[in-house]
Amino acid sequence: MLSDGGFWIVQILNSLQLAMLMLLLSVGLTVIFGLMNFVNLAHGSLYALGALSGYSLAKTLGGMWAAYLLAPLFVMAVGALLYVTLIDRLRRAGPMKQVLVTFGLIFVLMDAQRYFWGTDQLGVTEYPFSGSIEILGQTYPAYRIFIIALGLTVFGLLYFLLERTRLGAEVRASVDDAETASCLGVNVERTFFAVFLIGCALAGLAGAVAMPAFSAEAGMGVSILVPTLVVVVVGGLGSLTGALAGSLLIATTLTFGQVFFPEFAGILMYLLLVVVLLLRPAGLFPVRS
Amino acid sequence: MAQNSIFRQVLAFLVFLALIAYWTQADYFGFEIIAEIGVFAILAMSLDIIAGYAGLVSLGHAALFGTGAYLLAYFSVVLEWPVWLAMATSTALTGLIALIVGGVVTRVHGIFFIMITLAIGEMGYEFFFQNRTLGGDDGFAGIDRLDLGFIGVDLMDPASFALFVIVMAALIYLLLLRLLASPYGKVLAGLHDNPGRLRALGLPVRAYQTSAFALSGLIAGFAGTLTAQHTLFISPNLLHWTTSGEVLVMIILGGLGTLVGPVIGAATLVLLRHELSEYTQYWGFWMGLFLIAIVLGGRNGILGWLEWGWELASGKTRREALAQAKEADDAAS
Amino acid sequence: MLRLDRLVKSFGALQVTREVSLEVPQGVRHAIIGPNGAGKTTLFNLIAGELRPTSGRIEIGGREATGLSIDKRARLGLARSFQRNNLFLSQSVRNNLLLADMAAWGTGKRFWPLLSKERAAHERAEAIALQVGLADDLEQQVSELSYGAQRQLEVGLALIARPKVLLLDEPTSGMSPEETGRMLRLIDGLPRDLAVLLIEHDMDLVFSHADRITVLNYGQVLLEGSPQEVRGSDVVQEIYLGGVED
Repeated sequence: MLSDGGFWIVQILNSLQLAMLMLLLSVGLTVIFGLMNFVNLAHGSLYALGALSGYSLAKTLGGMWAAYLLAPLFVMAVGALLYVTLIDRLRRAGPMKQVLVTFGLIFVLMDAQRYFWGTDQLGVTEYPFSGSIEILGQTYPAYRIFIIALGLTVFGLLYFLLERTRLGAEVRASVDDAETASCLGVNVERTFFAVFLIGCALAGLAGAVAMPAFSAEAGMGVSILVPTLVVVVVGGLGSLTGALAGSLLIATTLTFGQVFFPEFAGILMYLLLVVVLLLRPAGLFPVRS
Repeated sequence: MAQNSIFRQVLAFLVFLALIAYWTQADYFGFEIIAEIGVFAILAMSLDIIAGYAGLVSLGHAALFGTGAYLLAYFSVVLEWPVWLAMATSTALTGLIALIVGGVVTRVHGIFFIMITLAIGEMGYEFFFQNRTLGGDDGFAGIDRLDLGFIGVDLMDPASFALFVIVMAALIYLLLLRLLASPYGKVLAGLHDNPGRLRALGLPVRAYQTSAFALSGLIAGFAGTLTAQHTLFISPNLLHWTTSGEVLVMIILGGLGTLVGPVIGAATLVLLRHELSEYTQYWGFWMGLFLIAIVLGGRNGILGWLEWGWELASGKTRREALAQAKEADDAAS
Repeated sequence: MLRLDRLVKSFGALQVTREVSLEVPQGVRHAIIGPNGAGKTTLFNLIAGELRPTSGRIEIGGREATGLSIDKRARLGLARSFQRNNLFLSQSVRNNLLLADMAAWGTGKRFWPLLSKERAAHERAEAIALQVGLADDLEQQVSELSYGAQRQLEVGLALIARPKVLLLDEPTSGMSPEETGRMLRLIDGLPRDLAVLLIEHDMDLVFSHADRITVLNYGQVLLEGSPQEVRGSDVVQEIYLGGVED
């Protein structure tokens, strides 16, 4: 098995694909975390919302492309509502209140999702790239390649956004030093809001994209949350590169861990987090040194 | 209001009295609920020591709870020890584990502390989930209750067990009340307020935080041994972070850092959960909203509102008394 | 009692503290003055242990303290009052002092109160309260005290440990003339064998109360000397006091 190149390719692709999904989720969370010092435990629930609304959109509008485009917008709208009613008020409230309120939000969103979509697993049978391709003698689902490609594209776009646009500059300045940025004329409040919305849209996109491969159900937000938090902390709060590094590291740990130490894969991930927190609490690629 | 004021102690007395009163009227389901309240009251009080007093918010506390339960199952069922010995050993061992974990996690602060406790809690969950010796995700059954036959009490009887748990909870409340009034307890309260100043004054802050963590783990483990005996079946869900979250909700709901608050919170949440799940499948929705409202409400949970009301009322009566005294004075002169 | 030997602190390329050396023997009142941003509070943070120096040595009571944690330095006899009030706001003055007492004397380790030790602690708290002029406010909640009273408590907390070295960070900042007078009397009443290092902007206070003065500018020691020497120095007058007197 170990000498079989095809095996390695499959596992590497699996890691990459998982990493890309985690990247989409963790980018939003890390910038919100690093920028606004805001802990949003309900971020996973937004991912679930993306998957579920993606399902509905695909069913009613006939096809996943509608879902890929509209689910993120829908989740962004819900996010905007949450921001205006709750998030903005909590921004200065300190980690404990944020943890508690967003924890409560998890329950609210989860049950709301159960109400609208039921408790069964939902999936679609027709989606783009549903065939498989052959790599080194192994057949591999083409859809997962699509996920990898999409993830890399989005990362590229975000990188461009952050480094080359005005909004990106404002975000970077605000992460670095919000007070000074504000003195320099950056509308920090509006930047926060924009960042939050983008984070929500990304979570929604991740959900919609993941749905054909992994199906959707109301509880999926809860199970994806902790690995996402681990990625964010390991990578470094507020850092895009950190989110990529963290996603790759955690996804690889989980994927290869499942193959070689199936019982300890989960524990390995947490052990990694503990070690990072003790040695480099700022993460692997912190924005602020 | 002062820590452990008369108001709070009287309130605690009333709460336990109410539970006993409920017990006298209860049917089978009532006894189950009472036992559950008792177990979670103990667990909530243990979390309050670190979250409410020492100022360390842990999202992995349920792991200590579950560890206590699993250790009890292991010692009493697998090793076939008498239950009282299994309880004592499990409690002590959980405290020891908490001491070691505490020494590690107190190296980080703030959100990172919350994260590391989450991680360690999930490690515990994964461990018992994967471990087939103790059932893995199928759970573990066949647990026995403590043998109190020598004083003529059969804990297999739901009424007796429920009363037993409540008595345990009351005893632990009194024990912790004493502890928190001691110099050690006062330092813990100060740690919640301003650890930096205490450090600058020469206090080895981490040593106190670690010891508080160990104490908290000891009591959480004890609660775990009780829950194993209550449900006679345990599963890894006992250690899941959502369970940790629920305990945190209980102490916030009741009143953080007040000792009696967590008891009130535990009772309220357990009752709410049972009541609401009779009317709706979606009790989580309402509980979530309730939690958000309490946190945003600005006061320290239910106890905060009660104390506010009390101060309002007693303030009024004090002013009235003063006014009356003044009238009497004026009339006399 | 306190000795700093070529202390340096850099944040990346920025040198905030440059080769600062000074010595404060027992009983001496030593003031640090300098314009805003000169690095005075950074220096205090280095001495107290909140910051690690990039190089240099710190000695407290003759003992090597450079690598020690904040609480270990405090136990060596270092005490500090903060520029911005750092109190236990939700508790009474008495409880603030008792907490400080427990932290300083290690009596917080007990799980049950010992009456004799309790009484001794209360007596110490009351004595300090008297010394800092808060004897009448012992039962007051600190958040309800006036700003000046809070500043006094700030110093009181540092004193209860009976330190060998006391760092006072702008003790009179934000105070009215009356409150400043009270603080001055407090400083006058400090134990004679205490080594005091204070940061101050109030020049009257500095020149009337300090035995020695260090002038800091851009993290560097510009001049150290007696009040007359500092007063007479042209360079100091230029950069800090605003022009040379003719």
